[in-house]
Amino acid sequence: MRRAVVDLLKAIRAPVAAIALTLAIGFVLVAAITDEPVRAYRDLLFANFDSLGNFALFLNRATPLTLIALGVIFSFRAGVFNVGGEGQLYAGAIAATVVGVFLSGLPAIVLFPLAVAAGILAGAFLGWIPAVLKVRLAVDEVVTTLMLNIIVLLFTSYLANQVIRDPTSYGAVSQMLPQKIWLPAFPGVPGATSGIIVAVLLSIVSWVALFRTEWGAQLRASGTNLRFARTIGVPADRRIITAMLLAGGFGGLAGTLYVLGIGHRFEQNFSPDYGLVGLTCALLARIHPIGALATALFYAMIINGAAYMQISTDVPRSLVDLLTGLLVLLMTARLGLRQRQG
Amino acid sequence: MAYISFLASVLEQSSPIMLAALAAMITLRANILNVAVEGMMLVGAFTAIAVGNASGSAALALLCALVAAIVMSQLLALMTLRFSADFIVAGLGINLLAAGGSLFALEWFYRSPGGLRPITFPDLWHIPAGALSWLPVLGPALEGQSIIVVLSFLAVPACFVFLYKTPTGYYLRASGEDEHAARSAGIDVARMKALALAISGLLAGLAGAQISMDKLHFFLPEMTSGRGFIGLAATLFSGGLPWTTAAAAVLFGFFGALGDRLQALDIPSQFVLMLPYLAAILGLTFARWRLHIRNRPARILKPQATSEPSGSHRADLEPS
Repeated sequence: MRRAVVDLLKAIRAPVAAIALTLAIGFVLVAAITDEPVRAYRDLLFANFDSLGNFALFLNRATPLTLIALGVIFSFRAGVFNVGGEGQLYAGAIAATVVGVFLSGLPAIVLFPLAVAAGILAGAFLGWIPAVLKVRLAVDEVVTTLMLNIIVLLFTSYLANQVIRDPTSYGAVSQMLPQKIWLPAFPGVPGATSGIIVAVLLSIVSWVALFRTEWGAQLRASGTNLRFARTIGVPADRRIITAMLLAGGFGGLAGTLYVLGIGHRFEQNFSPDYGLVGLTCALLARIHPIGALATALFYAMIINGAAYMQISTDVPRSLVDLLTGLLVLLMTARLGLRQRQG
Repeated sequence: MAYISFLASVLEQSSPIMLAALAAMITLRANILNVAVEGMMLVGAFTAIAVGNASGSAALALLCALVAAIVMSQLLALMTLRFSADFIVAGLGINLLAAGGSLFALEWFYRSPGGLRPITFPDLWHIPAGALSWLPVLGPALEGQSIIVVLSFLAVPACFVFLYKTPTGYYLRASGEDEHAARSAGIDVARMKALALAISGLLAGLAGAQISMDKLHFFLPEMTSGRGFIGLAATLFSGGLPWTTAAAAVLFGFFGALGDRLQALDIPSQFVLMLPYLAAILGLTFARWRLHIRNRPARILKPQATSEPSGSHRADLEPS
């Protein structure tokens, strides 16, 4: 028991230190520009729990972040540096919306699974492209996922502006989805998506799959040492492609659950860079599924908290963007001497 | 005369893309996939407007934009080379820091989150009208272009000469080609990489200044709108060769200008704007595919010998 606690403390030491350092820098910054730094920080961290409405928004924020982070974890564990979370998210969101809008005549019992499947498949397809290019031709996946992000964003902008646009509203906004396929609210918290339940369950399932099954061990082996994995007979190429299908699928699911549970329609700028923030959460959690749930909740807390902080103390909410940048910059750094040679 | 104004807008659109592409190219030759070009451009664009607004001097604004972008590049160099942060993650961090920092400055110092629009702003030097009338076609298109557009086209031969005709350029490429061999030969690899990032910052700062200072004279959040990534795409598409990179940048600038025209005609421009990114993926895939075909006999003898050459930059993200 004591060893377990010590191990846990060891594992979370670095991420907690990174978060603490960033929050400390932020506090200095806030103290420099406002007379009420404590009030500002209280709102940044805890205003999410002041009312049921705030709590609902907090859960809504955490859902896509958790799912994207889980997807990133699968790909990183398989050794694929997938920065395509944003594109996979948008692909899922637009696919679910297109299905929901165009087939709105179908009964909910058919339409709902169809929309979810479309969203997941669209995301998975987007994960499959870089995976196959990497495995077959060793094309760098950072480049392909980065470029695919922008391609998908342009494509959804086309669909949202020209094809499924709601002509009565301003901007690139799709028509509403039929109410019958909206995700029910989280029990007891009106306005909160029950997608958070899916996210929590999937983070546990992901942990089991990655760390308690042979399949997961093979996937991780392909990521840590590809040649060794191949030598001992792991079908590494297949594991890598599956991992990317899952990563894309998780991103797609995040988008799907967003439109079904939160937005109820597709908006071109619905994501405040969830893809990159989800990646941040995954890396902060040392690519661990349960840890990623914790970091996603933390991030949801400060993204929303920033808005409350701005209202109560007029510290700009972009403080959080600034701090995120610092955190990402510092996140993978190691103090002390360089450990690796070349 | 329509084609001359179109040519002029192609030149204008190509200029920041060209500078961004060269910025990414220099670092690519030192084996760094520089995703932070976008962020460094944004910092340059913001600094140019902020300093120009405060000082009223275009030259000072441009200088400060360059310095600010170089400082960002050296911050990235410090984190990655000294503290072994991952290049991609830290680079994305620079982008976030630039976006967040400029937005924070807008909200806090200028109290206008929508953007910074000085009422009067010093003009950059532009090629005076009629100065190039002796040059057919290209002359009229160049007239009225800013000094930065001219510099961006001069930067191509400059980068070529630097990379291929100077000892430092040799060292820089050697560091990118084979770090161990370069180190054995007595080259300070970390210094070469930091230098590559500094040059990258200089070019990106110039690109950012062009975007905000040339015609617009204001700064908006997310003003660079992915042009750093188009530049990166141009470099990757052309495999990091200076002249090919420049050609790709002009091609992508052409797509950009075309996209603008189509937007005016109410034709969906998104598909045209996608082309640079598609071209980058296809270009890279094609290059790898040719290598794949060429290596086929060798692969039969040594099945696992073809590991990715560019994979080293994320060796330190393996789960511990």
